[in-house]
Amino acid sequence: MREMIKMIVVLSVICGISGVSLAALKSVTAPRIEEQILSYVQAPAIEQVLAAHDNNPIRDRKIFTVQDQQVTIFPALKGGSLVGLAFETSGQGYGGDIGVMVGFDPESGNLSGIGITTMKETPGVGSKVSKHGFTSQFHGMTAEQARLKSGGGEVNAVAGATISSTGTVAAVQKAVKIYNELRSKLTTAWQ
Amino acid sequence: MSRLWKEFSKGLWKDLPPFKLVLGLCPVLAVTSTAENGFGMGMAVIFVLTLSNLLVSLVRKIIPAKVRIACFIVIAASLVVAVELLMQAYAFPLYQQLGIFVPLIVVNCIILGRAEAFASKNPPLLAIADGLGMGMGFTMSLTFLGGLREVLGHGQLFGHTVVWDGFEPLSFMAAAPGAFVTLGILLALMNFFTNLQRKRKGLAPVDGPTHDCGSCGVCGGR
Repeated sequence: MREMIKMIVVLSVICGISGVSLAALKSVTAPRIEEQILSYVQAPAIEQVLAAHDNNPIRDRKIFTVQDQQVTIFPALKGGSLVGLAFETSGQGYGGDIGVMVGFDPESGNLSGIGITTMKETPGVGSKVSKHGFTSQFHGMTAEQARLKSGGGEVNAVAGATISSTGTVAAVQKAVKIYNELRSKLTTAWQ
Repeated sequence: MSRLWKEFSKGLWKDLPPFKLVLGLCPVLAVTSTAENGFGMGMAVIFVLTLSNLLVSLVRKIIPAKVRIACFIVIAASLVVAVELLMQAYAFPLYQQLGIFVPLIVVNCIILGRAEAFASKNPPLLAIADGLGMGMGFTMSLTFLGGLREVLGHGQLFGHTVVWDGFEPLSFMAAAPGAFVTLGILLALMNFFTNLQRKRKGLAPVDGPTHDCGSCGVCGGR
């Protein structure tokens, strides 16, 4: 009996210590890890969709709340004035969520481009949505134009990859909705 | 002091983990596509192995024999999660390269094997020496294997081109089968040299990388 109690106590104490120390380490490293993920996973897409700028969009990011959702917005500033905005949304693809970084031109409200951040689409078929040929179509489009041709817009879907194309466009439309709700707040946020 | 050196140096040649103990082959085969990946993996293993040896050795007297394996695993797992977090925070590109193989250090036989066979029976200082030695042996082996595969498979070493013009890289060497073939040839060479050494000392040759019972202890010396 004594041996059993000792086993339980020792194992619990060891697990407890390890749990507490890992939780502490996690909270210490969390901000740094977020920074690293942003600069290695999302930075290429951010650079791709924003207009020419002279600031660091990742360092100047701000978090906004829309419909109880938190959105991290990356600004492009030039000489202190806002020339572009980008944030990530996701749409349902064939192999999971497709993460899309959507850029907006704050002056006209049109899209300044999109870039795919994460996706698990079929290699060679659905994965083509991340290629330049598909994503570059969105440059300069209005919200209305940024739908698939079958849905009344001007976007050519990737052949054979309807689900992936639809998912990407859905993410873009989600971003448009978020952008319209935040628009009034955004123009003054970085002044 | 000489004991300390003996425990440290045995991991560098006599009990070289992947080639002599043939332990921890999963990362050896999986991440050695380049020398840098092998080196990074080795550094992570040195960190985990040394600290887990130290901690296991410190608590060896209070751990009840029946739950010792569970305790060792909890210690190793905590250290591995710590490495994973630190790697994400300070060496993100390496983390992206190693991916799933960082968490898999937990089930690397070397960690549990050294905890069970050495650290749980020896004082902390010796356990640290053992962990450092084994870890460095492991790192050397992985870097060597990775370097070999990188040169043959990519024509590069640590990302620098080292081959002559017109060298046609063997993409086979960079893929998974290349790891098996290279490891097999290296093991064969190691055995050949071991037997050459034994012959010179007038001992009978042995089959395979086996040598003595000191590093294993699975059978308890029976």
